[in-house]
Amino acid sequence: MSGTAGRRLALVVLQNAPLIAFVVVLVIFASLSDRFLTLGNFTNIVTQSSHIAIMAIGITFVLLTAGIDLSVGAVMYVGVAILALYLGDLPVVVSFPLVALIGLALGAVNGFFVVQMRGLHPFIITLAMLFILRGAALWMTDTRMVFVAEPIMSLGRTSYLGVPWAIWMFAAVFALAWIVLRETPFGRQVYAVGQDPVAAGKAGINVPLVLFAVYCICGLCAALGGLVSIAQVAAASSTFGFQKEFPVIAAAVLGGTSLFGGRGGVIGTVFGAILIQTVENGLVMTNANLHHRW
Amino acid sequence: MAAEILRLDGLSKSFFGVEVLHAVSFALHRGEILGLVGENGSGKSTTMNILGGIHQADAGSITLDGRPYRPTGPRDAQEAGLAFIHQELNLFENLSIEENIFISGFPRRLGRLPLIDRGRIGQRTRELLDMVDVRYPPATPVGKLSQGERQLVEIAKALSQDARIILLDEPTTSLTRRETEKLFTIMERLRAQGIALIYISHILGDVLRVCDTIQVLRDGHLVGGGPRDEMPIDTLISLMVGRKIENLFPPRDTEPTTVPALEVEGITQSGVVRDVSFTLHEGEVLGVAGLMGAGRSELARILFGLDPFEAGRIAVGDTTLTEVSPEACMRHGMAFLTEDRRGEGLMMEATIADNTALPSLRAYARSLTGWIARSRLEDDVAEVSRRVQINTTDYRGMLVKNLSGGNQQKVVIGKWLLRQPKVFILDEPTRGIDVGAKFEVYKIVNQLVAEGTAVLFISSEMEELIGMCDRILVMSHGEITGIHERHEFDSERILETAMLKNLADVA
Amino acid sequence: MLRTAGASGNAATRTAGGVRTRGWLERLILSEYLVFYLTTAYFLAVWPIVPEIATASSLSNMLTDMLPLLVVAIGQTFVLIVAGIDLSVTSIIAFASVVGASVMTADGGYLGGSPLAVPAGILTFLLIGGLIGWFNGFCCTRLGMPPIIVTLTGLMFLSGTAIWYTTGHSETSSIAGLPKAFVLIGQGSAYGVPNALWVALAVGISAHLLLGHTVFGRWLYAIGINRKAAEISGVPVGTAILWTFVISGVCAAIASILFTGRLETGTPVLGQRILLDIIAAVVIGGTSLAGGKGKIVWTVGGVLFLVVIDTSLKLLGMSLFVVFAVKGGVILFAAIIDAMRQRIIMRG
Repeated sequence: MSGTAGRRLALVVLQNAPLIAFVVVLVIFASLSDRFLTLGNFTNIVTQSSHIAIMAIGITFVLLTAGIDLSVGAVMYVGVAILALYLGDLPVVVSFPLVALIGLALGAVNGFFVVQMRGLHPFIITLAMLFILRGAALWMTDTRMVFVAEPIMSLGRTSYLGVPWAIWMFAAVFALAWIVLRETPFGRQVYAVGQDPVAAGKAGINVPLVLFAVYCICGLCAALGGLVSIAQVAAASSTFGFQKEFPVIAAAVLGGTSLFGGRGGVIGTVFGAILIQTVENGLVMTNANLHHRW
Repeated sequence: MAAEILRLDGLSKSFFGVEVLHAVSFALHRGEILGLVGENGSGKSTTMNILGGIHQADAGSITLDGRPYRPTGPRDAQEAGLAFIHQELNLFENLSIEENIFISGFPRRLGRLPLIDRGRIGQRTRELLDMVDVRYPPATPVGKLSQGERQLVEIAKALSQDARIILLDEPTTSLTRRETEKLFTIMERLRAQGIALIYISHILGDVLRVCDTIQVLRDGHLVGGGPRDEMPIDTLISLMVGRKIENLFPPRDTEPTTVPALEVEGITQSGVVRDVSFTLHEGEVLGVAGLMGAGRSELARILFGLDPFEAGRIAVGDTTLTEVSPEACMRHGMAFLTEDRRGEGLMMEATIADNTALPSLRAYARSLTGWIARSRLEDDVAEVSRRVQINTTDYRGMLVKNLSGGNQQKVVIGKWLLRQPKVFILDEPTRGIDVGAKFEVYKIVNQLVAEGTAVLFISSEMEELIGMCDRILVMSHGEITGIHERHEFDSERILETAMLKNLADVA
Repeated sequence: MLRTAGASGNAATRTAGGVRTRGWLERLILSEYLVFYLTTAYFLAVWPIVPEIATASSLSNMLTDMLPLLVVAIGQTFVLIVAGIDLSVTSIIAFASVVGASVMTADGGYLGGSPLAVPAGILTFLLIGGLIGWFNGFCCTRLGMPPIIVTLTGLMFLSGTAIWYTTGHSETSSIAGLPKAFVLIGQGSAYGVPNALWVALAVGISAHLLLGHTVFGRWLYAIGINRKAAEISGVPVGTAILWTFVISGVCAAIASILFTGRLETGTPVLGQRILLDIIAAVVIGGTSLAGGKGKIVWTVGGVLFLVVIDTSLKLLGMSLFVVFAVKGGVILFAAIIDAMRQRIIMRG
């Protein structure tokens, strides 16, 4: 009997690994720094993690279909570069949706190639897109730092009901993604395609369309992540979004989304993203000087 | 008799010039369960595929409800009210029961919102699950269900699409006896509601238990059929086997020895095989017969160290194996030809020479550096390839995927011959290859035993076993149910032993 | 020469029906040395525009840029052949760099000033690479975890650890004061040939022989083409895969020695930016992400191609953005060529 109980315990631990890791990390840092476990610091962590979380939510859709998107960091940079260089004078209500649309369109390019070039791994397609898009953004900015104008900067400082703007944005994307994945036919089809694309085709699901759509969503979320990030930091250097794909994928995977498709979801992803930021924040707090930031 | 719902009229079909279905005609009525039986390759699946729109018949016609029915794809079949339940299920383990049932078209909230109407699919799923006697909440993930329950969920899915004809292809292969009985109860309930069912199975006991009418296929011909009461089991068997064994097998001049080459004692793995013991002698061909799912291939995989076993002993020659892994078995002179040639037997993207050399590489390499003596290896590869008569001499250039099935099989045999095995396990060595190539495979087997090799010959083709083997082991439900000596070979008796358990169930 | 991977070009022209002649374009696309032709063509095309590219100093610059990248890429080739991937290589480079440096540095290193400093330091580099590689391989084979997850986690963890380790050994963000003898490995030369080139040649030739002429090499291709068939044929699949990760780790450590020697400091952000370049170079060379196909010579071609393009674009006065965009285009181009190749082979 104890064997079964032990196995069940192991299963519970494995299934809740991100949550447990999160708690362990909290306890360690709380015991190392008394400033760590404060509401202010926690808000800080969530705010800082929001852009990663939003992008990771987008990539969760792609991972659920057993795909991958390495171009998110580059999409992020392209969106912000266009915003800063060409859309700076427009009101935010116009420029932000435009940038989001650009992200969607770039995701659509990924999706187009993934669907059209069967047998070519999304890894390669999106790796190529990474270089091309980063090059395009560097061309636009002439590799110089770009700045966003006042209305966007002040947006970064705005709070509503005491909660920073970035967290609202994060919450909205999360809620929407959660509903889409759980409660819409499309969301359930994403899971079906990730589990078994052949069976999904037999069940009458339009598999290419589902694949195309998840890359569009991923591109959209990458652009949104860029907007949230630029509103916080106000300026984007030539390394903006560079190698962002790694923490973004890591957040989703830490949160329990399988790279083989069909398993996982956005709740875990959110935990994964906050976990990564918590570690980083905790290291700073406990004076481990982190030169290197993702 | 109830109204006719489906009629097949003179259906014929050929693949690459080989006729697999010849003028097959029969009718199906409302509220009838029709059993379709026959050996492997008798044309059952082709019939199914034509009904399902996956293949189109070359000649003949199908009538559904008095109207011509010519499906060109699975969608047509579904819309016409035909549902297919295959051995491998089409369910998504990561989704719930209700989601699986409605994945092709979810009802939406208020009819148009892009949100799933959970209330409605839950309600409808409960109704459907009631009909098939599955007591799970609709939101249960399918991953938590047993094989039998999943089978019933597939049926519920078919019902949700208003299927009027349900075709079941070997649905009980992975079910327990109790689950099988439950499936039959549900089938009878559906019959009472006027749904027609076609039931395909190797297990004649089951067919006799549940079907109203039985049709027998052999070599693509419909060789007999009628109401269950007119088709006792011995009639069915003689209809299925039917063929006279002609001169399809090369003569063998050597006799088996009495020197044990492979001794197997009490091999057991729960749910797979139970207490399997036998001795294979040098120069002997020992056949293994049995129905699909009887545990023959599973036994072979255990003997070659590919799958685990809980209890038992394996000895090669006079050494008991302490470690059973493919490497260890090969060291002791064993070889294994897998039934899955493309998936496990060959590297399709590699050349004949590379495939042939793979199991023997160590023998041609210096032990310290692993440096391969290439010219010696290539000479020996060429020699063994000539010996198995592959129809090309470009061993180093020709990719295996460009060869015919028969030549591919010769490459697999060749790669093991290079190791000069003492014990050779052949799992379905002639599956999917043409008659000429079969004959050549038989000749190689005869040559091998003449040289003293011991051969374990697993096959689903009865006459092949009778033609080739010195003795035949019969397996049923993971156990050995009989051993037949050459002088008492009789295909009907062997089939009976193979179905021993099922017959006991019927009686 | 192993035909499985090697001669897909000429082997494919032979079908059961006999030899079919192909057009020159098809032959070119099918050639396994396509990337060398492309590099040469490109080089000749830019030569008249930027004659500087063919000067001795430019050529030697290209070589120094290329060597460490090549050594890591060679390790990666092994992993890709068995259909794995190793994303942790750049973090191994960084981590080995700082730990190795902390052993040797004159500013309070463990063996600072001792005559044993350099050999012990080099051993440290190699051991770190080998051990991390072994751990990666262990997780992938014995625990059955997917390589991309194992090595991605390794990447993130080790990059952080490298920085943390540096802060414990140095006031600044790197560890300087390395012995002269060590620095010479990255900078000096022997018999008129840079030491780094000797190292890269040794690694390249051993890797080539290992892949093409030994049992181990053949096993790797077999695993990449059909893992199950390899297992049934008695190939010790798990052990062989584990070793590819060890090789990749050791190659990364050797590259780290070259990098560290060149910079004269142990740096925790070393190699951070070249991760995707490494994978891109191997794939451009013709090694398949799906496994079963790859050669050291191809990888040399892929690295050469990337470096020639990089250098020429810089000489042309192009900025970073063009370099990036062209790289992306080249990867996509290579992928499309590969897809075309498959289609031609399918047609037979």
